[in-house]
Amino acid sequence: MKSLRTRLLLVVTLVLVVFMLLCGAGLDQAFRGSSLQAQQDRQQGLIFALLGAAEFEDNGGVRINTGSLPDPRLGRVQSGLEALIFNERGKVIWRSPSFAGDVPELLAPDVGATLFNDLEARFAMTYGVRWVSETGGLRLFGGGRKKQTRYTVAVMEDKTEYLAQLKAFRRVLWTWLGGAAAALIAVQLIVLSWGLSPLRKLVRELRNVESGQQSRIEAGYPTELTPLAEGLNTMITAERNQQQRYRNALDDLAHSLKTPLAVLRGVVEDDTLPADARDRMSDPVDRMQQITHHQLRKAAAAGRRTLAEPVKLKPLTDKIIGALTKVYAAKQLRFAIDIADSLKARADEGDLYELLGNLLDNAAKWARTAVHARADIRNRMLVLVIDDDGPGFPEDADKLLSRGVRADSITPGQGIGLGAVAELVKVYDGSVELSRADGGLGGARVTVSLSV
Amino acid sequence: MRALVVEDDPALRDLVCRHLADEGYIVDMAADGEQGQYMAVEYPVDLAIIDLGLPKTPGIAIIKAVRKAGRNYPILILTARDGWQSKVEGLEAGADDYLVKPFHKEELLARARALVRRSGGWSTSQLESGPIILNTAAKTVSLHGNAVELTAYEYRLLEYLVMHAGEVVSKSTLTEHLYSEDEERDSNVIEVFIRRLRTKLDPDSTLNPITTQRGSGYRWTLPRA
Repeated sequence: MKSLRTRLLLVVTLVLVVFMLLCGAGLDQAFRGSSLQAQQDRQQGLIFALLGAAEFEDNGGVRINTGSLPDPRLGRVQSGLEALIFNERGKVIWRSPSFAGDVPELLAPDVGATLFNDLEARFAMTYGVRWVSETGGLRLFGGGRKKQTRYTVAVMEDKTEYLAQLKAFRRVLWTWLGGAAAALIAVQLIVLSWGLSPLRKLVRELRNVESGQQSRIEAGYPTELTPLAEGLNTMITAERNQQQRYRNALDDLAHSLKTPLAVLRGVVEDDTLPADARDRMSDPVDRMQQITHHQLRKAAAAGRRTLAEPVKLKPLTDKIIGALTKVYAAKQLRFAIDIADSLKARADEGDLYELLGNLLDNAAKWARTAVHARADIRNRMLVLVIDDDGPGFPEDADKLLSRGVRADSITPGQGIGLGAVAELVKVYDGSVELSRADGGLGGARVTVSLSV
Repeated sequence: MRALVVEDDPALRDLVCRHLADEGYIVDMAADGEQGQYMAVEYPVDLAIIDLGLPKTPGIAIIKAVRKAGRNYPILILTARDGWQSKVEGLEAGADDYLVKPFHKEELLARARALVRRSGGWSTSQLESGPIILNTAAKTVSLHGNAVELTAYEYRLLEYLVMHAGEVVSKSTLTEHLYSEDEERDSNVIEVFIRRLRTKLDPDSTLNPITTQRGSGYRWTLPRA
């Protein structure tokens, strides 16, 4: 029951089924009622017709000519239509030629009244009549001194035809109701999928934002969803601004911490001051410097964020290389970049600057003539490979790095300067590997994988 | 050499200025971006050291203004923001190198020396011109391998001329770049120093390293090695 679609569909189907059942039952009831009424009317008609054709004799008998039977079925054996006439003592005084078998037990109604009975296999209608016989005429409800005889006429009809009719009706009824229900459910499905499609689109867009294929929710949405889409966009923007504000605050903090530190460092290096005091300050100042540097850098690493705007790697690398070309102008290095123009990484821009900046700076520092940079995304992992033609890493460099590091005590300018890289890589669930560059350069190779 | 320091923190500004002055630079200083930008564009500057986080006008804007004004002296960024993003931004704007606070005195001076050298077209810290070698780090001079004793003023003058080897440098340029505002500027002093340099570097008048271009100034004639 987790899906809206399932819920709606279930409720609608349930309501529909109950409705169809009630509807069917009602129609069935109505049909049966009118069928029975028709049956009664027909049997009553037959009774009157029989009475019309009957000749009552003075000895209490009744005679009906076969030719004047009101329904030919009455004259045929096993036709399903039978008639009986009883005298007032309940004795059968006439039976239709079609009648076979035992006389059923029937109730005698009052004179002038009818009784309709549903026997097991047939419908029976009985009618009470008082016959006055004087001059051979027929008189109903007669009074006076005339001799009066009470008769009961019964007409019975087999149920088969009625049941067949009912069965046919029911088949048609339920076929149509079922068909209608199926059609309605199908329509409901279409309506649901049309009605819910903006939600599915929204989900798809959000996934794209997450995976970095688009930077915000863009499509137009129905009125009910517009506030949601706008809210999401606001949230995405706020999230990104938040990071920017955070970084600005860190920058300010760095500025206000490091400027006095620089002054302190100046004091430590000031030859005109007593050496004893300077020596005692030197160590704490170094430590403060290291801690500030390390912690600020750690705090600045944004890490992988769900709603980060994807960053194009090529322009960023070009910028850094432009800057490094200036810084290492004296070495006249050749930088070769193998990064697709369209390559985008879903990582924080500042983090990528740090990562590439440190890697390339390090390579440029040690390279003699050339630095190669390569980047690619495979299975949601951004892989950066930076080669140089410098002396390469010492044997134990890898061990140094894997110890998790040590790298934080290695400041740029000393050692291998990969501390910042190691830290960022940790934040991105990635890895750093130090090896030897192939392809003619022969210097150091740093391979960094980040999950983005 | 004339250096401009733009830094808002007074203690750090004084420190940087002292380091540079010790190194023989004539130092101008500005405490905020506005003043800094004015001085950076208008003053005779050989090297500028600019903090990025300045009040009034940000450091990046100063650098852009300097380059826009057609001044191409080297600029060293001083920054507490050690992020690569700000470094790249500064270098893109026209700076030549960066230095992250806090820094060692030696690092500051080494970067400054390298930048000035590079702007003069020299790639090593040893300036070799003919038989004369200047060690810009140690501030020593040798002629045919023998050390030459120079006063601080003489060395500054020589370094400036060698740095701009082949160019004609006017007397007023020399005064501007080698003397601070509050020092007495007597162009005769330059003539005196030039004469002394000639005597010390070319005792037997065979090299003739410095020629006088009448009416326009002096020129270092020896080729760069």
